[in-house]
Amino acid sequence: MYDVINHLINTVFGLGWPSWAISLIAYLLVATILFLVAPFQMLFLTYFERRAIAQMQDRIGPNRVGPQGLFQPVADGVKMFTKEDIVPDAADKWVHLIGPCVVVAPTMFMFAVLPWGPGMVPLDMNIGLLFFFAISSVSAVGLMASGWASNNKFALLGAMRAVAQMVSYEIPAVLSLLAIVLVTGSLSIVDLIHQQAGLFISSADVPGIPDLGLGWFVFTPVGFLAFIAFFIAALAEGERTPFDIPEADSEIVAGYMTEYSGMKFGLFYLAQYVLNFLLCAITAIIFFGGWQGPGVGWLYAQAITPTNPDGNGLFNVLAGMLGVFYFLAKTYFFFFVMVWVRGAYARLRIDQLMDFGWKFLIPLTLVNVISAAIWVGLTKWGAAEGLAFVEGWAPLMRWGVAFVITLLLNIAAYIFLARVYSQAQDERARLDNEVLERLTNVA
Amino acid sequence: MDIQRGNIIVMDRRRGKLRAGQGLLQGLKVVWDHWIGSFRKNENFSQIHGTFTIEYPDERMKLPQAYRNMPVLIYDDETGHELCTACYQCARACPPEVIHITQAKDPNTGKMVPASLEFIIEYDACMSCGLCAEACPFDAIKMDHFFELATDDRMGLLQRKADLNRPISYYTTIAPDLWDEVKEGAMKKLQGSIKRRPGVIGIAGHLSDKIAARRRELEAEAAAAPPAPADAAPAAPAGKLSPEEKAAKLAAMRAAKAGGAAPAAEAPAPAPELSPADAKAAKLAAIKAANAAKKAAEASAAEAPAAPVDEKAAKLAAIRAANAAKAAAAEAPAAPVDEKAAKLAAIRAANAAKAAAAEAPAAPVDEKAAKLAAIRAANAAKKKSE
Repeated sequence: MYDVINHLINTVFGLGWPSWAISLIAYLLVATILFLVAPFQMLFLTYFERRAIAQMQDRIGPNRVGPQGLFQPVADGVKMFTKEDIVPDAADKWVHLIGPCVVVAPTMFMFAVLPWGPGMVPLDMNIGLLFFFAISSVSAVGLMASGWASNNKFALLGAMRAVAQMVSYEIPAVLSLLAIVLVTGSLSIVDLIHQQAGLFISSADVPGIPDLGLGWFVFTPVGFLAFIAFFIAALAEGERTPFDIPEADSEIVAGYMTEYSGMKFGLFYLAQYVLNFLLCAITAIIFFGGWQGPGVGWLYAQAITPTNPDGNGLFNVLAGMLGVFYFLAKTYFFFFVMVWVRGAYARLRIDQLMDFGWKFLIPLTLVNVISAAIWVGLTKWGAAEGLAFVEGWAPLMRWGVAFVITLLLNIAAYIFLARVYSQAQDERARLDNEVLERLTNVA
Repeated sequence: MDIQRGNIIVMDRRRGKLRAGQGLLQGLKVVWDHWIGSFRKNENFSQIHGTFTIEYPDERMKLPQAYRNMPVLIYDDETGHELCTACYQCARACPPEVIHITQAKDPNTGKMVPASLEFIIEYDACMSCGLCAEACPFDAIKMDHFFELATDDRMGLLQRKADLNRPISYYTTIAPDLWDEVKEGAMKKLQGSIKRRPGVIGIAGHLSDKIAARRRELEAEAAAAPPAPADAAPAAPAGKLSPEEKAAKLAAMRAAKAGGAAPAAEAPAPAPELSPADAKAAKLAAIKAANAAKKAAEASAAEAPAAPVDEKAAKLAAIRAANAAKAAAAEAPAAPVDEKAAKLAAIRAANAAKAAAAEAPAAPVDEKAAKLAAIRAANAAKKKSE
């Protein structure tokens, strides 16, 4: 965006503005676009979810407002805006007000490092991934604040659960990303995408693979396991069923949102759906190549880029369109999977959630980090790192050996952990029964 | 899959040992099947995937014939006659007692006619039990399929006969088989009822063309009957008297009796060609005149014994009053076009009575009594005329 504005102002109009002014304009423009895009994503996702879940339940869903009910979210938004804003007497007024804002703000920040298409990233940070997840944790503060300030037992309970859940599930999420970071050697999200060129085999691992934009990490054993673990953790972080324990409307009313109404409630809603969108987007970016797909790489090679200033501007547009299309298609697919999971599974208990996170996902992702290390050693290291024996192998051979070893290791870890976990669960159920029998004196 | 009642259906639940995570995938498969299936519409309820939704305001389910919502009244398309005979069976059967019926009366004879004059159902309290339709021996009350009755006007749910009437052709569209079952008996009973309904009684009120046609028919029938000679009016036909004529005669006799010495028979014999409405007016006039005369006579008679001197004068006054009344009554049928004429006749009678009373002061002793009688007569006449 900076380049475009700079070209427009200083070259075309010849105004000669200083670079700080150009930067300011460029970032303001980008921020405006993102702040418009985020609520529209939220509006569309609510509609999308309602229609999809309705069809999974043999219903039709909202179809009365506008064509196929497409304006239903707008009607909901109008309703939200016009509702009375109620603050409980016993609430801490200021914290009650700030809570939703603190929840929404991080989700907006997270857009800053999200690449939409080739060259279409607001800010290419070299620690983009770290920024993304560090910022996402801030919303836990807002949840706790709003739950506490509501001065309501359900709100406090929901907030406690939310914070416990988010803190617990950030560990497997980050550990599974750590495996990918080990493989790529970069925390930059743009780098991450660029390394997923290729055809089922990343061209970063095996040079000379035809680039169809399909060298996704999900096609490697390390990436696949990381994807599964990350997506489960993402469900928990986004408070999606089966991990919607903080809201759990059938148990604790609406969790930390209990005492909120009107637009403050709307902000929570907005934050939740934007966060879900972002989690789906980051899943698509890290494991499914983001905007990578057949044709994008070729188109982008013809376009005007810092490395290729003599390109054709038309290809910028085409590559951008195709890239955004791939990216959004993947993102919405993952959101569909979230809805699908919501349609299929029942809500977990809080102790089951914690068990699953701490006793199953974290060991699994830890094993996956070891697998990633093996992968990196076999595909990238050489004599300098002390692995002289792989030097003589062909790249494809190295890749194949790494694939088989990590696959075996991951499968073995999964089976072992699943067995241990299920035995632990059985034992736990047996103990629960014993306690129940002792307490009730029923044989 | 064809599901019949009583058949045992064995479901394949794919039991067996589920390995870690397999159950989750099976759950996803079930939901996926439903999602894929939801893009087509189900034809019947044996299909378990797909949408069952009927988008109500846009499309409607075909209601079963025996569906019942609110009771309506049935009338015959051809004759326009209502099937209801006001037998009150439905009103008796109605648990919330929301059916109110007024039976029609023959205006001439005052006898009940097998037809309803007004039929009210309070839809707001009706509970759609259908017992009225069950109870109706004439198949005149049936349960409608119309159910969109929501309203903000509660009194609008008080349905009168005009709101309740539905033609048989409508009922056959919603429940053809049910109507076929009862059609024969119902139509037979309806023919019986029609025979006992005089005039246009029993024809659904909104069918003005049918009513007009029936009126013309009745007039044609009356014209076809041998007309009695007009000049034979004073000599009332002895043998066959129409109900109207009978009524008029009766009234005349009563008036005459009230008038005292007045010769009764020939006085108010109505002309045979009088229309029923005219006859009614004549009857009214006669009654009014008679009442006025009676009042006057009673008053003077009551005073008479108190003042024997003036007995003659009082008697005279009474006779005059009676005569005047008689004259008025006699005059009335001559041109009793309408009620106005009848009123006029009543006024005249009253005036005559007043005049008769005014002659009383010839005897000063009884002046007061006579005056009183005159005032009373006048008042009575006035009242009547009003």
